[in-house]
Amino acid sequence: MDPLSSPGGERASPGPARLRAGIGLRAQHHLQILAELPPVGWVEAHSENYFAHGGATRAVLGRIREHYPLSLHGVGLSLGSTDPLDRQHLADLERLVHDFEPYLVSEHLSWGSVCGRFLNDLLPLPYTEEALHHMSARVRHVQEVLGRQMLIENVSSYLRFAGVQMSEWEFLAALARDSGCAILLDVNNIYVSAMNHGFDARTYLDAVPRGAVREIHLAGHTVSRAGKRQVRIDTHGEPVCPAVWQLYARAVERFGPVPTLIEWDTEIPALGVLVAEARKADEIMEVRRAAAA
Amino acid sequence: MLPLHELQLRFAAALFGDSADPIAQWIREDGIEPEGRIDIYRNNLQAGFAKALALEFPVIERLVGCDYFGMLAREFQADHPSRSGNLHHIGRPFSSFLRGRLGATQYSYLSDIAALEWACQESLLAADAQPLEISNLQDLCPEDYARLVFTLHPTCRLVRTGCPAIRIWRSNQPGVVEPEVIDLGSAADRILVRRSGGLVEFYTLPAGRFALLEAIQGGRPLGEAVDTACAADGAFDLAEALRQLFALGLFTGFTVTDPSGASGPPTVSVSSTLSMPLVRSGVPS
Repeated sequence: MDPLSSPGGERASPGPARLRAGIGLRAQHHLQILAELPPVGWVEAHSENYFAHGGATRAVLGRIREHYPLSLHGVGLSLGSTDPLDRQHLADLERLVHDFEPYLVSEHLSWGSVCGRFLNDLLPLPYTEEALHHMSARVRHVQEVLGRQMLIENVSSYLRFAGVQMSEWEFLAALARDSGCAILLDVNNIYVSAMNHGFDARTYLDAVPRGAVREIHLAGHTVSRAGKRQVRIDTHGEPVCPAVWQLYARAVERFGPVPTLIEWDTEIPALGVLVAEARKADEIMEVRRAAAA
Repeated sequence: MLPLHELQLRFAAALFGDSADPIAQWIREDGIEPEGRIDIYRNNLQAGFAKALALEFPVIERLVGCDYFGMLAREFQADHPSRSGNLHHIGRPFSSFLRGRLGATQYSYLSDIAALEWACQESLLAADAQPLEISNLQDLCPEDYARLVFTLHPTCRLVRTGCPAIRIWRSNQPGVVEPEVIDLGSAADRILVRRSGGLVEFYTLPAGRFALLEAIQGGRPLGEAVDTACAADGAFDLAEALRQLFALGLFTGFTVTDPSGASGPPTVSVSSTLSMPLVRSGVPS
């Protein structure tokens, strides 16, 4: 199924060919977005922030949805965990998808809980055959429950497990093939992990299958230290760095102008900063479109 | 390689514990010790939890300061780790945790403030519902009034505090530069929290009205609830109380209990009350 063929009705739905970049929807900006309707192509909401059964936050999402295509991006389903899937969490997500008709629904290539204890973080998986089968089965299950394809996003990591059988990009490609999910490629996360683990980010990009990428995330990170070594910490709290913009241009070259999101999770800036970052992504997509025309 | 489940158990043990030992041998060094790598995740775990907790309890954070709040959050997380992928649930046991931790000290009031803040959180996220109008009761026989069981609006919460919690709450909002000095023993509050127009509102209730709502919240029929209210407050005025509660839209539905299950005739007849004109008497305290 095509995630871009969203339900129509009175709600905004994107035209894939000319889709402009979107921005992450944050509570600080709710009212300003409604008042100003900034020129961005779409918005992406963290699913869990709108699980409430009522109230102002949920109502505002409904009003914003009347003006923009929506993507729902989950952070808490803990898909890679060996715990049973949280049925309530999935039911909440299903209700949200039903009520707000998003054009994309995504989650992460990660785990975040074990034996009922949640770490509420996006923890890396060991890239083994066992983890691949487990993750594929879980993604297939969620897709069946939701009745639609979902996107799975690569996360930043600060460690790699020893004795694994695949690289992350091999794992991600195999997951898309086995589960039928699409890929949400976070170019910043690739860059952060590449710098932290010493691989070439371009190798990663070039190994991801062309047709599988349906969304790209762009974000910022900070540089910290662990002992004598520099470590890139994925804060999603800074402007996109020049190296990541370069990598993004390469990604657009390879995957085409797919829906792109400016994502900021900490130190949320003024709305105008997000809109300006989204413009930069638009310009890179325009260059690609012009070249392709 | 370890089986996935075993690896996740060890990883969590390393993060919740003090050492990377349980998982160290399964982590590639690549120039940084496993301890340093686990530290990054452990720091994320603690900082993320403390930040989410501070969003739910901003008044507590302001009262105790960031550093002390961070310490409380770490202790609270050790006792009550998150049980959900949705961080909005972590604060539920915070008030009782604070009571256990600080109940015997001069800071015991913090538990009350946390209860009020949690009531606000729950109210803000509760389902929308259409309030019951007093006219919805017009087809009832007066003899059924005592057996009426009202459903409280989902956004309603009742909080009883041993300190002037609303004044403390108001005095510690972000816009307040110079919080007033408040005598902790100066008042105790019986608070009704409800949501209106997307925002929470507080009402301090007299003892009788609070007891009435507590009984209704507990599923008691109106006759019994009125008995409880009169016991709590000799001057309890049912007519006034119902006018306020209906004006605030606090009920969303009702049932009439089986006569066999009822607790006898009501001590106060409500028949005269229900025919009174509705006056909007709810004044935010």
